[in-house]
This record gives sequence, C-alpha cells and structure tokens, in this order.
Amino acid sequence: MSSLSRHQVLARLLAGSVAAMLLVSACSGSTTPATKAPGASASGAPAGGQEDPKATDSGGKIMVWVDAPRQPAAEAFQKAYPDIPIEINAIAGNVGSTDLQQKFALFNQAGSGWPDAIFFPSNDDIAWATSAKINYARDLSGILKDYLSGYTAANNAPCNIDNTVRCARNDSAPDVFWYNAKLFKDWGYTPPTTWEDYQTLGIKIATEHPGYVSGFLGDAYAPDRYLWASGCPTNDRLSETKAHINTSDPLCKRVVDLIDKMVAAKALSPVGIFDPNAAQVGPKLAMSPGAVWWGNYLFRDTWKIPAGQMTATAPIHWSSENPGFTGDEGGGLWGVSSHIKGKQLDNTLTFIKFVTSDPRWQVELSTGLPAYTAPQQAWLDKGAKDGYFNDYPTTAAAMVAAGNAVRGNHYYMLYNTGGIWSKTVTPVLTSGKDLSAAWDAFGTQLVNEAKTFGYEVVATGN
Amino acid sequence: MTATMIGEPAIARPAPRRRRFGLPGTESRGAAILVMPFVLLLIVAGIIPTGYALIQSLQAAQGFGFDNFARIVGDFRFVDTFLHIFLTLLVWLPIMMVGVVGLSLLVYSSPGRFGSTMRFFYYIPGALAGVANFMLWLFILNPGQSPIDFLWNGFGFTTLNQVAQPGQLPIILAAMLFFQGAGTWLVIVNGGLNGIPDEVLEAAVVDGAGPVAMAWTIMLPIIRPWLGYMLLLNVAYGFQLFIEPLVMSQVTHGQISPQWSPNQLSYTYAYQILDTGAAAAMSVILLLISLGLGLWIVLRSGLFSDER
Repeated sequence: MSSLSRHQVLARLLAGSVAAMLLVSACSGSTTPATKAPGASASGAPAGGQEDPKATDSGGKIMVWVDAPRQPAAEAFQKAYPDIPIEINAIAGNVGSTDLQQKFALFNQAGSGWPDAIFFPSNDDIAWATSAKINYARDLSGILKDYLSGYTAANNAPCNIDNTVRCARNDSAPDVFWYNAKLFKDWGYTPPTTWEDYQTLGIKIATEHPGYVSGFLGDAYAPDRYLWASGCPTNDRLSETKAHINTSDPLCKRVVDLIDKMVAAKALSPVGIFDPNAAQVGPKLAMSPGAVWWGNYLFRDTWKIPAGQMTATAPIHWSSENPGFTGDEGGGLWGVSSHIKGKQLDNTLTFIKFVTSDPRWQVELSTGLPAYTAPQQAWLDKGAKDGYFNDYPTTAAAMVAAGNAVRGNHYYMLYNTGGIWSKTVTPVLTSGKDLSAAWDAFGTQLVNEAKTFGYEVVATGN
Repeated sequence: MTATMIGEPAIARPAPRRRRFGLPGTESRGAAILVMPFVLLLIVAGIIPTGYALIQSLQAAQGFGFDNFARIVGDFRFVDTFLHIFLTLLVWLPIMMVGVVGLSLLVYSSPGRFGSTMRFFYYIPGALAGVANFMLWLFILNPGQSPIDFLWNGFGFTTLNQVAQPGQLPIILAAMLFFQGAGTWLVIVNGGLNGIPDEVLEAAVVDGAGPVAMAWTIMLPIIRPWLGYMLLLNVAYGFQLFIEPLVMSQVTHGQISPQWSPNQLSYTYAYQILDTGAAAAMSVILLLISLGLGLWIVLRSGLFSDER
C-alpha cells in the first residue's frame, strides 16, 4: 500500500480533475441554461391566445410592464384611475435583447409571474408572445370587439395573427417621405414621388452637393424602410410553422439595384440612424423615406435640425405600382395576459383602452402619431402649434395617409430580420462595399435562422 | 482533495518518504468533516445539475437517443462558435501565460518595496471585478469616449462598430481577459515562486546559473503545477465565454452575432427557440471538452501529483 499503482494514480487524477472542473464550472458563473430549466413547454393554456383555464383574479390589482418612454403612459393612467391599484414595472428597452423572452419562458414553467399588460420593447416580441410555446398574449378580438373597430385595418395589422387580434397598437409608424424643404428651395429641386426619381435625384444631390446624403442604411430599421416598402419577402408568415423567404425575388432585386447605385454615388450613408455619429451626418440629410416619428424624435430632438426646414410628403412608390405601398418602422404594441380573469382582466382592459386612445397620454404626452383613429386629429393639431415642420398641413396629411398604405404580407417573426441585417449587411456597407456584396449572406442567414426556429421555409407565397 | 479518499483503509506503518493517500481513523473522520461542506456544494451545484443536463440532453422523441445532439451539432452556427473560441484562446492564452510568468519573474526578482508596489499595480485591473471591468471596457472601445482614442483614430476607426468588427473580437476579448485576470494570476504565481526554498536557488548560483538559466531551468519546472492550474482555469473560462460577447452583441446592435460563443448558442436554444434538449446537449458537449482538456493539462503538468 505504500505506493499506488499507475492505474490508481490515474483514477485519482481523474476524480480530482472531475471535481476541479465541476468546481470551475460552478464558480465561474456558468450560465448553462439546461442546468437550471426543465423543458420550456406551453403552460397548459389552450393555443391561440384563449383564456388559460387556470387563469386567476387578483380582485382588481393589476401589474403592468412598460419601457422607459411608456412610463408616463402608465403614470397618466394611475392619475386618471386612482381607484385601480396598479404596480408599474420598468423593463429594459433594448431592441434585440433576449432577457424578456427568457423571463416569460421561466414564468410559464413556474405557472405564475406574468404581467397583466405589457408594452413590448420590440415589435418582434409579439412573435414569441403569441407562439404556441409561450402563448402569453390574449386574443382581444372577442372581448374588445367594438373598441378595436376604432382602428383602421392597416394601423392594427401587426396584431392580426391567424384571425385573432393579439395586441393593440400604441402608435402608427409608417414611412413618409422626408426632405429638407430649405435645401430643396435653395437648390431648385422638387421632391420625388417614385423610387426611380428618388434614385436619380439622390445621385444628383450627391454629385452636385458632396457630403449631402439621401438616406441611412446602418440601422436595424433599414430593411423595413427599403425591403418592406418594395415587397421583398423576408417576413412573409404563411403559418406559425411556415415562412415565405426569397431574397432573389424581383421585388428584392429592384431595391438592391437601387441601393447599390446610390451607395456607389455616395448618396446613402452606411451609418445607422441611432448611431452616435449620426448626429453629425443627420443635418446633412437632404431627403429620405422615414417613419413618422423621425420628425420629432430624430430631426428635432436628436439631431437638432433648426425649425422650418424638414417636412414630409406622401410616401414614394414604385412607378409600376399604383396605388403605392410603404414600409413601417415600429409603432409599439400593447399585449394583455391570457392568464387572468374577472376584475383583474376588466381593469387591465381599462388600462389598454386608456393607453391606446386616451388623449391624456396619446395627445398630451406621446411623441408618436396615435394608431387609434379617434385621438389622431387632436395630436396633429397639437403638432401644428409646435411650428417645427416647414409645411405642416402636407406633413400631417402624409402621416395619416401613409398609415393606411403600409404593404401587407409582412409580419413580425421569431427571427429578427433587423438583427440579421445589422450583422450581415451593416459591416459590409461600413467597409465601403455595396449591398450586393452582402446580399447572399443576408439571404442565407435569414433562411438558416428561420429554420432553427422551426419554420419551414418556402420560396413562393400562397 | 476528493471524497473518494475517505473510505481508504488506515495504515499504521511508519511514514514512507512520499505522502500517503490513506489516513489513520481519527484523521479520516476529521478529513470527512472538513471535506463535507464542499461535497454538499458539489452535489447541489455540480453533480445534480450536470446529471440533469445529461438526462435532458439524451431525451429523444421516443425514449433515449442522440436527437438533441444531432440538432445542436447540425445548427449552422455550431462550428463557428467553437472556431470563435479557438481563435480567442489562440490569441489570449500565449499572451496570458508569457505575460504573467514574465511579470511574475520580474516582480520576484525586484525584492523589497519596489517589487510589492509593482505587484499591487498589476493587481489593480483584476480588482475591478466582472461587470464593472466590462463597462469600463465599453468606454475604452468606443472612439470619442475612449482614453486611447488616438489608437482608434490611428486605425481609422470612428465608431464602436468599426472597432468591434467580428474579425477583431478575439483580439478585443484577449485584451479584456488579460487585464482582468493577469493581476490575480500574478499574485498566485508569485506565491509559487516564493515557495521555492532558498537553498535550491543558492545552490544554483553556486553552480554558476545566470538569471536566465535560473528562471528557465530552476524556477519554471518547480512552478509548473501553478502554470498548469492557470492554464486549466483559463481554458475552462474561455470555453464558457458568455457575458462578454453577449454585451458586445447588444452594444453593436447585433453586428457581433448573438450566437457568438457555444454558451450563447445554448442560451438561444433554451430561451428563444425554447428547445431545452438541444441546449442541454450543448452543455454536455462543453462539459466533455472541458473535461478532456482539463484532464490532459492535469496529466501533463502534474497538477494533482504529490511527487516532487
């Protein structure tokens, strides 16, 4: 026994190193999820956003989750309905962040913890919130039938999933056509009405006035602005398990060609609208398709472009299409839990109606154009007094009309098209190459990610 | 020390020259009491979760099978995630090993106040632990906010996204991990150097060894187990990289893939694709790799060996 055989030494070493490795993995903050969570399965609720048979009633108290910009909405509700006890939880508003979904997967396992109402920080969130596995967002089509008729069909389209209405839209965010009216007057240009004219004029501006740009490509909304508007099938949801993706479709090719030509002429900037250095490029924006919220949020508050310059007109369209269609950049969504009933549900619905249409939030505090029709005019009237835009009546009319011109067959999916764009396209554009150089990688990544989420990918719709 | 030693028969022979694994009865009880808290923790935080992951990973549509492994290995990002880790380790480990050993020898051979002052300075970045250190790095990497702005300008980088391009991430991570860990390891390796008996060093000097020969032929072989331990823990950390690339992905708005490291891919399967089986399979694969590498390092460096 005084000396150990080689075999015994090896056995001890093995045991010792196993223990060491386990200790290492335990100490280094291992986040290996499988060691925490059993199979995330549906909570037992019936599919399609119907009420969970195990739904509970708090007797009235509600809990809502909002991101920072929507905090004032919840506080306005609290003030307007002091008799409804409410708990307001702030959530991080990072687009592309996954911890929110993680929380819901864990709530489903625990069978409790869901908020009664939530503002989804990213519109893509509605895809998992309505998926069969999470099945959080309630179908509102029955319980809010009359109220929902106050939306135009296009303005609540992101919530219409498989003949159910799984959310209520906060604001309308269609792309209008923005241009700097002062520059256009000085230079003697008229704003384009078609994408073809946009391309020609953009190249002309870049040639005659170097440094001035006609659009931004580096942010996650760029595919919404350009690809969605053109009808390029990236997000065509045929069913919960079937997606139509085809980046070699002619509807993609035409917009890729347009972007390539404008990039070659330095008419489009590879910067993203939210990049810190966009504030330097921003004031050199001559024109661009862009969401309704660009006006106040980007031009006035972030880039500090002086009043009386920027103005919007009707969205541009492809000359072969009449009437034309436009893209859409966000326009937040409110969801209601399928796990509540009774007084708790009633109060939550009161909350949803307030935050989507009550002027105390939608007109007085919200920066976005209300998606609900009733408060829209009051919001526009308030903007008229502001006097920021060069031609307000045209801007206001363009905003309302564009909301009903958003192209269909485009849904929020479990894969994140904007994120895939940021990963595959933005670095290539930043390095000085054109969109074609990244296009195959973008298409491949879209299809591959869609498949990992369980979609069957088909190349043609219908 | 492991629990397997407890049941060894007690031997009452005069102590041989090498240490024995078996202990007398009373010592054995004492050892059992000392090792108990660790064994409990090991069961709760190590063995149960690992066993659970193993079972989860082997659950197939019908009974047990390797379906989950097939799905995760078949993911189009699977190979890339390991490639990313290998690249990072390739850059990081040599810098780490050479840097720490070099600095340790310098600190060791600068006795007195200067040496201990330098040791303290090297330790400072490591004291800024975890998240705080990482937030600091975000400032350092962002041109415009960075104190090393001149460096980024020299490369022609003006935005964070230009600095944090996917191809450059292994270098960035290597720098991050080096400054985060080097100070702590310096203290540990220094401890190893301090443990070398003076007689050995004096004998070497008498035999005519210069500083280089002394470091190379005397000190390094003696502290080899410490270096093996350092390599082991750093390799394990490298394979478990998670929060660093995750935050880099978020601050670059997705330019760095959200599935950059194996752990992130596992996380995506667990909480986005909601496929816990495949996520567990990835954990098991990582465990096997870490175990294999760990074992290799342990055997090569004599980390747990008592022969000296």
